[in-house]
Amino acid sequence: MSLEQVAVGSTARVTDVSGSDSTSLRLLEMGLTPGVNVRVVGTAPLGGPMELELRGYRLSIRRHEAARVAIAK
Amino acid sequence: MSPQPDGTAPPDGNPSPAGREDRALVVALLGNPNTGKSTLFSALAGIPTRIGNYPGVTVEEKLGRFTHRGRTIELIDLPGTYSLVPKSPDEQVAVDVLRGRLAGVPTPDCVVVVADATNLERNCYLATQALALRLPTVIGLTLTDVATQKGITIDTAELSRRLACPVVRVVAPTRVGVEALGDAILAVMDSTPQPPAGFEAHLSAVDARHEPAAREAIARYAWIEELLAGVVQRQTPAHRPLGEWIDDVLTHRIWGTLVFIATMLMMFSSIFWLATPLMDGISSAMDWVSGLVGGLLPPGAIRSLVVDGVLAGVGGVVVFVPQIAMLFLFVAILEGCGYLSRAAFLMDRLLCGVGLGGKSFIPLLSSFACAIPGIMAARTIENPRDRLLTILVAPLMSCSARLPVYLLLCGAFVPNIPVGFSWLRLPALVLAGMYAVGVVTAALVALILSRTVFRGPPQPFVLELPGWRWPRWQVVLERVREAVWSFLQNAGTLIVAVSIVIWALASYPHSDAAIEADVAATRTALAAQLASLPASSLDHADVAEQLASFETDAGLAGFRRGAAQRQSLLGRMGRLVEPLVRPLGWDWRLGCAAIASFPAREVVLGTLAVIYNLGDIDPGEEEGGTALVRRLRAATWDGTNRKVFTLPVALSIMVFFALCAQCASTLVVIGRETNSWLWPVVTFTYMTVLAWLGAFATYQIGTALLG
Repeated sequence: MSLEQVAVGSTARVTDVSGSDSTSLRLLEMGLTPGVNVRVVGTAPLGGPMELELRGYRLSIRRHEAARVAIAK
Repeated sequence: MSPQPDGTAPPDGNPSPAGREDRALVVALLGNPNTGKSTLFSALAGIPTRIGNYPGVTVEEKLGRFTHRGRTIELIDLPGTYSLVPKSPDEQVAVDVLRGRLAGVPTPDCVVVVADATNLERNCYLATQALALRLPTVIGLTLTDVATQKGITIDTAELSRRLACPVVRVVAPTRVGVEALGDAILAVMDSTPQPPAGFEAHLSAVDARHEPAAREAIARYAWIEELLAGVVQRQTPAHRPLGEWIDDVLTHRIWGTLVFIATMLMMFSSIFWLATPLMDGISSAMDWVSGLVGGLLPPGAIRSLVVDGVLAGVGGVVVFVPQIAMLFLFVAILEGCGYLSRAAFLMDRLLCGVGLGGKSFIPLLSSFACAIPGIMAARTIENPRDRLLTILVAPLMSCSARLPVYLLLCGAFVPNIPVGFSWLRLPALVLAGMYAVGVVTAALVALILSRTVFRGPPQPFVLELPGWRWPRWQVVLERVREAVWSFLQNAGTLIVAVSIVIWALASYPHSDAAIEADVAATRTALAAQLASLPASSLDHADVAEQLASFETDAGLAGFRRGAAQRQSLLGRMGRLVEPLVRPLGWDWRLGCAAIASFPAREVVLGTLAVIYNLGDIDPGEEEGGTALVRRLRAATWDGTNRKVFTLPVALSIMVFFALCAQCASTLVVIGRETNSWLWPVVTFTYMTVLAWLGAFATYQIGTALLG
């Protein structure tokens, strides 16, 4: 299951970030590392980016970037 | 734009050990974006001694200088960055400066890592990377007041012990801890720091299937979690912080969008209403100065150069200042309270569709007021491809300088008939259409460029949504001052130079005899025209009025000015480009006006007035502009009774001005912001080609439909 599929208001635990380009490195550097808990705060209109809460701050990423983040409920 | 010494001798990169006590200490300020780095910079060094670009790149360089306990400290503000593994030009600069690899920038003696106390885990990512550089390092812990409100407590002494470097709490706006930070800087100066231990153990624990950089990131966070265990305590505060509640509303898909639309409408209507009186004031002040200077200088070429060239050029620059200041005031307030990131978040999907991103929104919206602050606001886009693309299409947004042109032509040549509803009239529809022409063209250009020249891997949108907080007025005012000053300094000089060139082209060669001959010829032609017109027609009255104006001094002076302009190099260029503008339905005079309006679109009205033998029209009267409108309506092709201005011609002029790059200021600012002369040339070329094609299509289709 990926972070993209997590419902607004739910929390999930990151298990992996796929890919080895600068985007996946950026996601890791922003704290989306295996084991961290992430809450989906909301989404932008028209299928826009997702707003996440992790490590005490809020981060916004696009849906196709969220699809790279594997999670466990 | 090469860096220049700032009066006092800057420290060089290779000091001799003996001279160490005498020279300034170089301290680099490093930190994540949104950590209060700018506030700390102001608290330490006050107003920067220099703001410019780092040599060779478009990344902003900000230097400051202050004295602490008798030592002079040179402060370098590094670009905000999340990591020292560079992925953007900004981050590359930060790394290069820290490693002493950027020519012209001294190697720092000490690094101050600015860390946000509300978000220590992620801030420690950069902090621990910086410690690995083995430069003397101090950690400045900012936003501790906000952290306390959130129920976060930090054991600073224990953190300092575990990271093996001093950690100083700073509340920059109230200067708490600023002295202590200065002391800590002096104290660590000569130490050779040992990075904190334990990272390697975590690195070897990470699955080897990951790339080295990914392994480092995973291990670093695991290590940071261990380092911060017991140091950071979180308690759920009794009340849910106001900021979180505000944030839930602001990023809500429905409420957030509504608040967003309301905010943007308020912002732009107020820029329009607040800046307009100031701009009018500046115009009047410049007119007064011109009159004063004109009265002091003897008539002749010098007076003309000073008044019509230099002062008109300066006025043309200074008049933009209120809009730039207003826009940057709003942008700085919105940025300061964290709303700018929310706007980018909300608009990302829409802009992604045309190959841009959420962060392009504010620059593009600003460009409806004026492309100059819009292009400057594109600095907030860290991705160079998106930034360049945004800068290239920003001038297509219909700025406030196009509005007088639209209003004049819509009012004069578009029939005032209702369209479908009694309240919706054709001129208003055409006006809205001109704005739409710009937006649609910008979307298409962005789409095409992003699929061709600027094709590349999809750009990530990984954006921090910083906590809601009150903007710091020092930082807000500093941003406004910075924007206004850099505009005046860099763009100003070039805009004045361009204005002088246009003045020279419009003034020379100047021969009184030739002018008198031209005036006489015009008079004869008008008299002949009068004789051929039926006495009852409206045109008859207009031509008679024009003939009558030969008898007044002011009228005669107007005709002389027109004749002088026709004979000038500019006038000759107008005739030269006539074959080019004829397919647009224009006569040579319109071509000439288009060339003369290169410094600024709004000049076209004055030029039209002069060139159609009117003398100068008071710019304040442009909108009503009855005299100008009547003369334009009466204007005919040289030697015929065929009208120049028909509906298709008016539409073709409006489309041309909607799409053209007739604004020297914008081109100069593009040159400065991209640090290259290529992009202003590209912008001018593509916009002029599009403007011509658009005007051509409009005229040809309009003529075919309307006859």
